[in-house]
Amino acid sequence: MSKFQPLASYRAGQTDDYKLLPLRFSELDADRYLLSNFVGEIHVLDKAVAREFFRHRLPSTSAHYAELKSKHFLLDEDSNVAIDLLALKTRTRLERVSQFTGLHLFVVTLRCEHSCPYCQVSRQNDDKTNFDMSVENSERSLDLVFKSPSPHIKIEFQGGEPLLNFRLIRHIVEGAEARNKIEKRNLDFVIATNLAVISNEILDYCRDHSIHISTSLDGPRDLHNKNRPRPGGDSYERATSGIDKVRAALGRDQISAVMTTTNSSLDRVKDIIDEYVSLSFDSIFLRPLSPYGFAVKTKWYDSYDNEKWLKFYFEGIDYIIDLNRKGVQFKETYASTVLTKMLTPFQPGYVDLMSPAGIGIGALLYNYDGAVYASDESRMLAEMGDNRFRLGTVSDEYETLISSDALLDPLEASFAASAPMCSTCAFEPYCGADPVYHHATQGDYVGRKPLSGFCNRNMSIFKGLITRMESDAYTRRLFTRWANR
Amino acid sequence: MSDHATDVGVDVAFSPEASFEIEAIKRAAYRFSDRVSVEITEGPTGLRCRLRPLQCKAPGNLNDIAQEFRNEALDQDLRLKISRETEGYRNLILSLAFSKTPLGQ
Repeated sequence: MSKFQPLASYRAGQTDDYKLLPLRFSELDADRYLLSNFVGEIHVLDKAVAREFFRHRLPSTSAHYAELKSKHFLLDEDSNVAIDLLALKTRTRLERVSQFTGLHLFVVTLRCEHSCPYCQVSRQNDDKTNFDMSVENSERSLDLVFKSPSPHIKIEFQGGEPLLNFRLIRHIVEGAEARNKIEKRNLDFVIATNLAVISNEILDYCRDHSIHISTSLDGPRDLHNKNRPRPGGDSYERATSGIDKVRAALGRDQISAVMTTTNSSLDRVKDIIDEYVSLSFDSIFLRPLSPYGFAVKTKWYDSYDNEKWLKFYFEGIDYIIDLNRKGVQFKETYASTVLTKMLTPFQPGYVDLMSPAGIGIGALLYNYDGAVYASDESRMLAEMGDNRFRLGTVSDEYETLISSDALLDPLEASFAASAPMCSTCAFEPYCGADPVYHHATQGDYVGRKPLSGFCNRNMSIFKGLITRMESDAYTRRLFTRWANR
Repeated sequence: MSDHATDVGVDVAFSPEASFEIEAIKRAAYRFSDRVSVEITEGPTGLRCRLRPLQCKAPGNLNDIAQEFRNEALDQDLRLKISRETEGYRNLILSLAFSKTPLGQ
């Protein structure tokens, strides 16, 4: 005799009289809808079944009924905790908004010894020290950092090549640590560097101050060096040797890498992933070019369209899934971020995928010249002559910066839950508003979504990931692991 | 009235018996705004939408687009009904969610 009653016995006496809870639905493909609710639960239904469900005609004996009930898409006479649970999950999902700015980007110099044609930050030659941040501005910036109420503060050093102004990095790190003796926040440091000029002295300092390193690696030697020219043509050699040195000095998990997709990358996604695997990375971030800086000026941004990039991306995702099937534990970072939003109650603080938008709320950027911007992309836009997202300067009061029209206007206008098309989109809980992208490409904070490359790319990624999970049990387990790591 | 020199297009009609909301039709028109312009008129025979291909885009098969547009309008109409039906719960859940924050006091 079974230890448990059959499922039918729990349904005895249950009527088919249920109420719908707030939900959205979008077409997943020709035959199926994706249903989501505002806490991000998802459920895929055949269109015919979904229409029956919406019309209150789904019998409680249906295989979907219990799942729809457990995911809070319906309410019946014995689901008395659904409303409380939905409220609790809603509060959890929005918690990050109330914590406010956790990521603080310091552009310590705009100088760089590389001359990448796709550079999105419009770097300057490495002999122009007037593109360095001053000590005074770095201290004013630190004052602003600790005005943020966030219990987690991450200071990321950007460039140019930030190691060309390492003296100032030391000053900022020590200044932040001194302030944090009183503030007692969870304080992290990251240096985003190409590793070309890293030295033992810098490595020792990073080890002593628990500084994480983020670097750029575009793929195998020929591709990386083509994308990232520097005097001597040895960017790849310096990057890979730097990766080894960082691991030896700081530990294996203290370095991560990102790649940027160029036209030359498009038919080489497997080579690129193999390069990362051979260098013992456990993840890769497959990134398209963004519409800022030299990438626009040199027309590299226009060298491929969304369709080509998405083909590249999903060829990469499928290859990574196959690698995992063969026992190689490896993941794609953007997919993992999206899957965390889909499959867990947690909200990764990825600026592009936040609504309200991540500008200001998710990140603030202190530029080398003392200007304060709402995000990294905001200063990229400013280097192109568009100061729309310049909030003020490091001499301004924190309250003045975060209540500036330059921040509040785009935040309010672009709020996805009230933007046309987004407000009814089932993928909205996983997506973001990105007013900087839409301003850059359409001259409007919201943008017309049918014409938006951001919307098209993300919708395709969401659908592609869900379709793969729905069609293969192994992929679902793998994606669940990615979401929870 | 037409702002096209040659009126290439296709009509999609929604009879009064189908009781489509004009808001649903407008939302469907917005979603299709990368492919066609939509002129909506309301008369005794119901709502009529004239779909015209955008000049910068290839017309494609307008009849296929018209079918897609009709299905999209159906979805949008259903979304409005669900949104209205669940409005009370949505407000209740949000007020519970924020009841312990300064906003809820």
